[in-house]
Amino acid sequence: MNAARAGITPIAWLIAPSALLFALFFFLPMGLMAMISLLTGNPVVQPNVEFTTKYYRRILDDIYYFEVIWTTLRIGLLTTLAALLIGYPLAHLMARVRGRTAYAMLMMAVLTPMLTGIVVRTFAWMALLSDKGAINQGLIGLGLISKPLPLMYNEFSIVLGLTHIYVPYMVLTLVGVIGRIDERLEHAAQNLGASPLRAFLEVTLPLSLPGILAGSLLVFALAISAYVTPILMGGFQIMTLPMLIYQQISSSFNVGFAAALGMVLLTISLVLVIAYNRILGLVSGQRDLQ
Amino acid sequence: MISAPSTPRLTLRLGRFCYLALNAAVVVFLLAPIVIVFVFALNPTPYIQFPPVGVSLRWFEKFFASRDFMNALWLSLEVAAMTTIAATLFGASAALALARGGLPGSRVITAIMLSPLMLPAILTGLALFQSYVLLDVGRPLWGLVLGHTLVSIPYVVRTTLAVLQNFDTRLEEAACNLGAGPLRTYFEVTLPLTKPGVMAGAVFAFIVSFDQFPVSLFLVSPGRETLPITLFNYLKFDLDGTIGAASVVSILLAVLVVFGLDRTVGLRSYAKL
Amino acid sequence: MTTRLPLNRRQFLATSAAAGIGAIAAPHIARAEAATLRITGWGGKWGQTMSSELIPAFEKEFKCKVETDSAFPYLPKLQASPRSAPVYDVLHTNSNEQWAALEMGIVEAKIDARQVPNIADVYPYAVSDKMVGVCIFTSAIGLGMRTDKGYGKISSWKDLWDRAHDGGRGGYVIPVNSLGQAFLMMSGALFGKGMTDLDAAYAAMEKLKPIKLVDFTGTMEKMILSGEVGLAVIHDSGILRYDGQNQPTTFVAPSEGVLSLEQVLTLTPGTKVRELANAYVNYMLRPNVQKTLAESVWYSPANSKVKLDDKYNEKLLTTPEKVAKLIQPDWKWYNARKDEIDSRVNRIFRA
Repeated sequence: MNAARAGITPIAWLIAPSALLFALFFFLPMGLMAMISLLTGNPVVQPNVEFTTKYYRRILDDIYYFEVIWTTLRIGLLTTLAALLIGYPLAHLMARVRGRTAYAMLMMAVLTPMLTGIVVRTFAWMALLSDKGAINQGLIGLGLISKPLPLMYNEFSIVLGLTHIYVPYMVLTLVGVIGRIDERLEHAAQNLGASPLRAFLEVTLPLSLPGILAGSLLVFALAISAYVTPILMGGFQIMTLPMLIYQQISSSFNVGFAAALGMVLLTISLVLVIAYNRILGLVSGQRDLQ
Repeated sequence: MISAPSTPRLTLRLGRFCYLALNAAVVVFLLAPIVIVFVFALNPTPYIQFPPVGVSLRWFEKFFASRDFMNALWLSLEVAAMTTIAATLFGASAALALARGGLPGSRVITAIMLSPLMLPAILTGLALFQSYVLLDVGRPLWGLVLGHTLVSIPYVVRTTLAVLQNFDTRLEEAACNLGAGPLRTYFEVTLPLTKPGVMAGAVFAFIVSFDQFPVSLFLVSPGRETLPITLFNYLKFDLDGTIGAASVVSILLAVLVVFGLDRTVGLRSYAKL
Repeated sequence: MTTRLPLNRRQFLATSAAAGIGAIAAPHIARAEAATLRITGWGGKWGQTMSSELIPAFEKEFKCKVETDSAFPYLPKLQASPRSAPVYDVLHTNSNEQWAALEMGIVEAKIDARQVPNIADVYPYAVSDKMVGVCIFTSAIGLGMRTDKGYGKISSWKDLWDRAHDGGRGGYVIPVNSLGQAFLMMSGALFGKGMTDLDAAYAAMEKLKPIKLVDFTGTMEKMILSGEVGLAVIHDSGILRYDGQNQPTTFVAPSEGVLSLEQVLTLTPGTKVRELANAYVNYMLRPNVQKTLAESVWYSPANSKVKLDDKYNEKLLTTPEKVAKLIQPDWKWYNARKDEIDSRVNRIFRA
């Protein structure tokens, strides 16, 4: 048995620098935001502030905010599903491919979109999906349609844009997990008469479940916090929680309300992390792969 | 006992074809916008237009001639480099402590370490800005790096933890059995095998920092903006191909980074452990 | 001997401390000559003209350094900084935001005319009671149109509601854009009892769909240029600045009147470089500076003494008669209701 299992070892001290960093520069500021969500003003710059729950009451009173929350979650779910369906095959290929060059090229295809930058990539989707963009002009030019399809400024384009940005995250998470599944298990299944598809469904897929859950959680968390892409792709006609928060900060100057909305988002996310941990513990029966 | 007949050759071939075709479609999906961006960078018209009218390098000229863009590109690279180093040091040490330190409530601590991912980065940026105001430090460069580091650490922690937790501990036990003390085991067995996970995290940290927008929004100071901010502002006023030129440059940088990593660390290595 | 030593040591320590502080402080004192003025400013053409010509000239004349923040939004940053050490000395933004800033107490209501003599020459609208600080430029908000879509004669605001424009109508995200907000108020006047008739305005907005919404005029300019949008709410500068490029676009000043989109400067109460800040406001009101900027971005100068070249004079608002027609929205009234208006329009315009 590993000696480390017995209790706290000296290695535990390595947590100290991060703990300090987080305490000072994450929790204190976040605590400040949580406080602001319960005060009438910003205590740092205003002298007389009082305790209030008006921001939270505003959220609860108006069904519009529940719609915004639901829209945010829905977009997150759709993006996660799409990223999974698109990312899994590629991750599987990358984990199993033989040649070093082939692997490097696939890795390049995955990493390049990530390094292009969120603003530019969204702009590229605008160039593809808008009425004067490549797809519509191409289809019109080929005579397949006469009026441009409304591909932009709706939930479809937001999910598409977000999926494109987050598929690499999903792929990179899955590659490691799938790579660790011993191929001989698949071969064994096939030797026993299973088709490759069945071997995949009954051996590989279940074993990659921890990776699926890890990747899904990451993409979901990122998708519900995203704001550049929904703004540029949705034309403000779809309102997500981060967009509302940004709007409250930048044009309503209502930091208290923005902070309250932010706390709601944080709570949702924390609930998800905890739920995920539980499910993973039940499903895989191994140590969690956070 | 053999339970079912094996699949006919044709179905196998078809299945393999579908598999490859699906992957090809995915790659096209990933790269299509990049191609568009290239087209844009070379099309001389200063707004979105298809089909492109020609090939011109004017946007590249504009990009490289623009002091704002060059400063922003340089700053982004600087900040990303510093963030990568910081995030890797903080994150890897934290992951090691969480996986091997036997800390009580390590699950909760891990969740906490990952929480900067969950909160909208714009709130993180605003909260940090408020804190800097409180500390009366203005908007210094280290403040920006700190913000980036905070949102990058979760990635390093994730990838390093993933490696550590799926580690074949028998290797460490074998080392112990052969007489190595805990410290030596860590340095000569654990750490080298953890390296791919740490490197993967470092790559994420670099990418996240280079592409970071909402945190930077509040923490950049005039004249010292990162590239995504400059691009976003530029988009408000000018929707021309300079953005395309900027991205082409970023992509070429990316290719260099990936190649470099492949040669030094070997990207393959963190796929199979 | 022993009694003298502590004294000497203390004196010595005190003197060297003073010398040390002096040595450290000296460069600061010397640098204090080169004070820093922190302002905000737009990017694009405005930013280029400022950074290439006007700011360097100002820095030279007043022996200072100017830092321009062009990362919009500005107000949240100003709001978050302490009153005694504001993050900007001069705030340049539109009227609606200046009023909101005034409500928050982070900008000063009026410019000191004694420190800014050029203010005496501005048109009445630039210092009216609907104005915080001073307006340095204005534009007319009206309709921008593509001439190649066969739309025919557009002369009224109400033409925007014509169903013929369903595929190419352009507007703004009202919560974040002042043109959108001014337009909302205008709709109340067009279809209801006046600019404060919100119910009529909301009903009008419902009928405006489908419409493509953007959050910034720069984006709208590009949408019109690329043909994505055929008829949109925009200020004259957004169309006129492409003059000479043979674009099939034109600006229409609707018969019911044009609204003013104002570029406004205010000082922050806690500024440490008040003299310099006032000098900057004065500089921006100088006729030659006004002329340079007006001709580069097609804004109408607030200084009545400015003489623009003919081609600009024709199209911009440069006479008392022309500027008298500008409708100045009541931003104080609007800002007081902004939250409920935003909630309502967010709901109207969701897809």
